[in-house]
Amino acid sequence: MGKSKSDINRRNFLKNSAVAVVALGAVGVGANYLKKLNIENSKTLLRPPGAVNEDEFVYACIKCGLCVQICPIEAIKLAGIKDGLSYGTPYIDPREQACDFSCDAMQCIETCPTSALDFIPFKKAGETAFVAYQKANSTPGKNYNPIAIQSKAMKAHTKMGLAVINHKTCFARNGKGFKGAPRETGFEGVYRSPNPKRKERKATAVNDHQFNREICDLCVTECPIGETAIVMEEKTRENGEVFSRPMIKDGCTGCGVCVMVCPSTPDTIIIEKLETA
Amino acid sequence: MMKFKNLQPIPAKRREDMPNSKLGITFKQWKAKKPNKNKWRNKRWAVLVFFNFLFWASFTFDIGILEGSLSGSRFFGIYLMDPYNALQEMFISSRTGYYAMLTTNFFIGFFVILMFYFLMGGRTFCSWLCPYHFLAENAEKLHNYLVKKKKIKEHSYNIGIKYIFWVGFLLLAFFTKTLVFETINPVGIISRAIIYGPGLLVLWVVALLLFEIVYSKRFWCRYVCPIGVTYSVLKKVSPVGVQFDLSKCGHCRDCQDVCLVPHELWFVKRGEATKEIHATGADCTNCGLCVDICYGDALKLTVKGFDKIT
Repeated sequence: MGKSKSDINRRNFLKNSAVAVVALGAVGVGANYLKKLNIENSKTLLRPPGAVNEDEFVYACIKCGLCVQICPIEAIKLAGIKDGLSYGTPYIDPREQACDFSCDAMQCIETCPTSALDFIPFKKAGETAFVAYQKANSTPGKNYNPIAIQSKAMKAHTKMGLAVINHKTCFARNGKGFKGAPRETGFEGVYRSPNPKRKERKATAVNDHQFNREICDLCVTECPIGETAIVMEEKTRENGEVFSRPMIKDGCTGCGVCVMVCPSTPDTIIIEKLETA
Repeated sequence: MMKFKNLQPIPAKRREDMPNSKLGITFKQWKAKKPNKNKWRNKRWAVLVFFNFLFWASFTFDIGILEGSLSGSRFFGIYLMDPYNALQEMFISSRTGYYAMLTTNFFIGFFVILMFYFLMGGRTFCSWLCPYHFLAENAEKLHNYLVKKKKIKEHSYNIGIKYIFWVGFLLLAFFTKTLVFETINPVGIISRAIIYGPGLLVLWVVALLLFEIVYSKRFWCRYVCPIGVTYSVLKKVSPVGVQFDLSKCGHCRDCQDVCLVPHELWFVKRGEATKEIHATGADCTNCGLCVDICYGDALKLTVKGFDKIT
């Protein structure tokens, strides 16, 4: 039998396929190696609210960037090539722009088409809080606002990480006060001040806020969660000297507003990712 | 040809009997027969640029018409999902048992895209929307020029290996539990580069393009890209496509010269066609280049069965 055209075709196909399979194998081995590196590296990448475990997040995120687009203060960014397999996945750099919950409805979680940011627990938390409110108040009071009740519960449900304060460089811990704008000139980060006097509906630039504090307590007063997350503690040393220091509580959501407004050195407050986020 | 083994080719006509043949006219007259040469190409590039611009504008000016990127987006609130990404996600979740990410919006996006490209002719995505195609199409022209000038040699492979890659990347996703393909996918990389600003991975796309220019024509689109393969499956059953009318053909084969996937126009060769009316196969991207160049209107972009109604 002579070689027919289809015979040559088949041989050609098999030859090329073999090369393709080898190439795929190489990509696979490379990807697996990168993934191991990735899980280590990405512990430092602060994920947006509601992110599932890093193991799942790596594949659940399809890198569409919808969360980036919906964030009103552009806190979420996409990771670059240096983050390996995390390339194109969303993260938050709280020192540059923290998540200050000024969206009020956690749209980044809701918009995620693949539940890499999982909305269901947040929805449940909101509903539970609403039911609890209705039980406690049979007749709704003056300031009855079902959306605000659910929004507050959803914010509190967030666990991006936990703030950790380095007391060595903390102004308050060293008895220093603070005056002026918190960050260097040209800093573009924004947030919505929880100060009821300002009545901000939209986030404003960090440096638009002028402070004058005898003992620096910006991280405490500007926290969007409030006293369940961070408080100023007064302590007395053995020699009778009184000093105050900010303390992180269980309610901390890891949003990073304290990191952003801290006028001290950059690593005075950092957000540590939890083992199981 | 191998696709219609059982069908015998229709005997070729004499050249004198063919309409629209080059016989007996000058080159100038030949060219003058079809003045508006780039009608479909211009339309297609306009659509491609418009939608990629809309992605960029939706984010930059916050107008929210077409949010997201080509791997997943929302068009006026309707979710759209890259079908190959969706398949990978389903594969991975079947391994890990974590199904939470297969949300309602995920399936809405998946099925809306499948329905849309079923109606629009499958690989229509490639030539009418894919930004990498736009670059590669122009790189191909440069490649052809270099081959013509004998600066480089053409290297071609068996087009069947794209199915190997299609299965292979799915298996890789399954075994490594990551979206391996999405990390090296030039479509997603360019789309994100347009919308969110370029990153270092754009260099990978540049390397691919250079490879296509100096070594193998349209390497990625022809032999690798599993997104295109996914759409080509839809193209098999889609009613939209390029239709070939043997009675109008002069067998000049200019269409095969401009075609981006010439193997799909096998029936234009004299004495090859087995039917009076042929439709292009799965790899045809409905780009309309052949329609533009055809001097006798033998090739047309049509909806199957539509001409019978009107």
